[in-house]
Amino acid sequence: MIRKKLETIPPSLTQIKLIQEDIDTKIKPQLWDPKTMLTNLSIMEDKIHQLQELVQLIVAKSSINQPNEFLIQQQQLVTADLTSIIIQLISTAGSLLPAVKHPNFSSNPNPNPNPNPNPSAGNGVGSLPQHNNSDDNHDSDGNSHGNMVSKMEDQSHETDHMDVHEEHDDDIDEGENLPPGSYEILQLEKEEILAPHTHFCVICGKGFKRDANLRMHMRGHGDEYKTAAALAKPHKDPVTEVKLIKRYSCPYVGCKRNKDHKKFQPLKTILCVKNHYKRTHCDKSYTCSRCNTKKFSVIADLKTHEKHCGRDRWICSCGTTFSRKDKLFGHIALFQGHTPAIPVEEPKGGEAVGGYNHDHGDNYNNNIEGSKEVGFFDFNFNSNGSAGDPSVCFSPMNMESCNVNRFQDFPRTLFEDSDNFSLLLPGSCNYLWKNGGESSSKDL
Amino acid sequence: MDSCLISLLTDDLLARVLDCHLDDSDRKSFRATCKFFHSVESGHRTRLKFLRPEFIPGLLRTYTRADTLDFSVCPRIYDGTISVLLNNVSCFGWARRVRRVVLSRTTSLRFSGLEMLVGSCPRLQAVDVSHCSQFGDREAAALSCAAELREVKMDKCLRVTDVGLAKIAIGCEKLEKISMKWCLEITDLGIDLLSKKCPHLKHLSVSYLKISNESLISLSRLKKLEALLMVGCGLVADEGLHFLGNNCPSLQVLDVSRCEQVTSDGLISVIRGCKNLQKLNVGYYFLDLPTSVFHNLTDLKNLKTIRVHGAQVADSFFDIISTNCLFLVEVSLSKCEGVNDTGIIKLVSGHPNLKTLDLTCCDDITDMAISAISQSCRKLVCLKLESCSLLTEKSFNYLGSSCPLLEELDLTECSVNDKGLEYLSKCLELRCLKLGICTNISDKGLSYIGSHCKNLLELDLYRCVNVGDDGMGFIASGCKKIRKLNICYCSKITDKGMAYLSQLEELSDLEMRSLIEVTSKGLTALASGCRKLSELDIKHCVNITDAGFWSLAYYSWNLQQINLCYCAVSDVGLCMMMGNLTRLQDAKLVNLANVSARGYELALRTCCARLKKVKLIGSLRPLLSTEILETLAASGCRIRWD
Repeated sequence: MIRKKLETIPPSLTQIKLIQEDIDTKIKPQLWDPKTMLTNLSIMEDKIHQLQELVQLIVAKSSINQPNEFLIQQQQLVTADLTSIIIQLISTAGSLLPAVKHPNFSSNPNPNPNPNPNPSAGNGVGSLPQHNNSDDNHDSDGNSHGNMVSKMEDQSHETDHMDVHEEHDDDIDEGENLPPGSYEILQLEKEEILAPHTHFCVICGKGFKRDANLRMHMRGHGDEYKTAAALAKPHKDPVTEVKLIKRYSCPYVGCKRNKDHKKFQPLKTILCVKNHYKRTHCDKSYTCSRCNTKKFSVIADLKTHEKHCGRDRWICSCGTTFSRKDKLFGHIALFQGHTPAIPVEEPKGGEAVGGYNHDHGDNYNNNIEGSKEVGFFDFNFNSNGSAGDPSVCFSPMNMESCNVNRFQDFPRTLFEDSDNFSLLLPGSCNYLWKNGGESSSKDL
Repeated sequence: MDSCLISLLTDDLLARVLDCHLDDSDRKSFRATCKFFHSVESGHRTRLKFLRPEFIPGLLRTYTRADTLDFSVCPRIYDGTISVLLNNVSCFGWARRVRRVVLSRTTSLRFSGLEMLVGSCPRLQAVDVSHCSQFGDREAAALSCAAELREVKMDKCLRVTDVGLAKIAIGCEKLEKISMKWCLEITDLGIDLLSKKCPHLKHLSVSYLKISNESLISLSRLKKLEALLMVGCGLVADEGLHFLGNNCPSLQVLDVSRCEQVTSDGLISVIRGCKNLQKLNVGYYFLDLPTSVFHNLTDLKNLKTIRVHGAQVADSFFDIISTNCLFLVEVSLSKCEGVNDTGIIKLVSGHPNLKTLDLTCCDDITDMAISAISQSCRKLVCLKLESCSLLTEKSFNYLGSSCPLLEELDLTECSVNDKGLEYLSKCLELRCLKLGICTNISDKGLSYIGSHCKNLLELDLYRCVNVGDDGMGFIASGCKKIRKLNICYCSKITDKGMAYLSQLEELSDLEMRSLIEVTSKGLTALASGCRKLSELDIKHCVNITDAGFWSLAYYSWNLQQINLCYCAVSDVGLCMMMGNLTRLQDAKLVNLANVSARGYELALRTCCARLKKVKLIGSLRPLLSTEILETLAASGCRIRWD
């Protein structure tokens, strides 16, 4: 599930040595005991047999395919059994590895509050031979295990909201100039990256939905994580604070953040990995429900956007929108020929008499005035026939100029102010037109 | 004989005559001489000021050289008006000539009209849209299409925001002069962009804006900046001025009056940095101007104008000024404390070229100072001595005998008497004379003025309670050019005086509040005689009845502003006036006891398309129909509820 590699380039030799020492200290108190291993293996055998029986039972039941209540209850019992057996199996398998200091797990084959040993826990130190499982096996293994954990604990779906405040700095750490080899490179698989986790193991990088699960996981890395203090804040433990700096690689081959890239730039944290991978190599599946145009792959980005969406009142003639006036002005100052577009806001039934409600009232008035003036216009020409018959071309020209202006400035919001026309209908509109027409014909 | 004489006068010669800045009435008589003169005049005139929209096409056709068009006193210019003018075949081509357009107070011209105008005038260089209450960002956007624009004046366009300013700044890169006084929506952001996009900016007015030091930092980027007016910028402080002083050596004019946070420190750094400063206006909030500021004035060899309002002035100020700033033309020390005779004597001794001296409310000065002024400053043109109550006849004698060029004299609240006026009447060039609250003046004194000061254009007799009909007679017979006259509260004046005043053909602005002796007869005489009357204030003239207002409606076509408050006009009289006075734009109609709500309604309906401003009593508001209020608002008319 997690592949961890040590750089074996000469400059890092010291570190390897350091790790070697670490391993030694861990192994020392524990004896290499083939007997216990054997007993453990036989226990595993038993358990596997049990498992086989259970699964056969399930298969038989599903083939009968009679979904009555009794069967369902039985099925649930079977699944519960299955769960406990699998856990025992895993814990026993874990205790086979010499890195695990307490073979008590195996000696006590029925640990009821299961301490959740991780199958990959043994990999934690990384100097041992890897499991030869294929990636797929790894994957299903990990998933099923994760599911079980969540079943055992009280499950609640508050997952996705948790990463709202994650840092978004995965592309910011360009300036970091760590010499290659001065750090340890971890590479999470994409399935792990995409899992909805927020708590990550500092040793192996595994992610969890809840901190409690992570703490449980940490116990698998050794006894020092079992103290109350370590359980509260696992990463504060001085022993595991290996001096080695950890950096992360993106699993996407060809990416600049991938360790095989020529100009590889590592990612600083697992959060960076997650966000980087989602932003760069995943579909943008979250669409903003307000504007229906902006898409995001990181849900936190969507949340951030939604906070401001629709408030981008500051629009440049190039179509770029800004939520802050100073940003718009900075943009305009920078680019030759860009000008601010005059903001159009949906009029919310403002007062007809100007007032100081500038933002709302202005546009409202504009629209009324504009149409009124067109009215003036036609009236003029009808009453004033001596003007050399320009009336045919004028009035539309005037209208057109208004429209053109609007097109230039607001490519998107053009039709938004259709509401305004309904505002023109009620009230004294006819009076305005008529009156205006009369007076202007008198004036001209 | 005549034709022979005229044939000697070639076009060139006549054009030369016209080049001497003739005033309007002179031009009028020139035009009326003969057809040839008329055609020369029409080919020479470049500036047209329209009084009525119906005259515009004809005038544009006649004056083929007109490149400056002034619509500011024309009642209503709509978008449609512009379109009609642009497409009028008879005056085709005017738009290609136009360089300057004054659209001040044209409240109904909106963006579509402006867009048409700007689009058809490729040479447009200057636009004045000040006091257009409807002028906003869209209008600014329309204006920004004029790429050749060099000057924009948009004082008190309250709806213009940074966005509108940005439009102009980006569209008009050649901008050299922009005034946005009172455009309260404009902030540092707009100013910053302006300074980035318009590097040729020379003159800038940001008075009364809520801008901070940030703006001054941006503005100090403008290497060509010559004039910066920032009256009443309360957020600007010394740090901003330091930037100006360090970065704008070309600055010539600076006005920081009423900037509350600016202290002498900021001023000193500007004075040190800007050696070319010619005009410095500091005032108010400098309650104690330390001598260190004045010591720095020694650097300003080119200083021509210094205005210090309401500050404490030390004796050393006068020493430094008189020895260092040798080119001073204008000194204003109004309301300054510490101005005394010795100071003034020092000041004027070094400055024989001083033309303008403002000593308003410097009430410590006596005849001694005036004696020194009149002896040294023979070229004095303008002298303001309001509230200098210690001055006596002697002072006026000095002035009358030694300052022959004096054109403007303010003696409001001075103890001027008839004898004093006799002395002053020797100033034959006098154009503006203010004698408000000089209660000792009688008709006899005015007789001297009337018989000598033929050039008088403006006379203020506010509360000269001893002036009567005869005084009006002397003024009317002597000062034929008078345009502006204030006789408020001169309650001795009756219909007879009005009859005299009706001889003043040029009179355009008359204030006659509380002349309770004047009746309809007097007003009729005035209206029929003074046909150029455009502003009239007859508040509290309670004895004028409808007959008077009828004649006003009949004769005074040119009336633009009227104050009828507390008059005895009836429904019919008001409607007649409002309907007939087709140039009327501003009416104050408070407390008309004989006018009903219906009368108001009808009167407003007759003129709602022309009015730009109307003042009404607040209690009337619910009695008027919403239609009329909406119509007024929609056509850009502001209603002031009293």
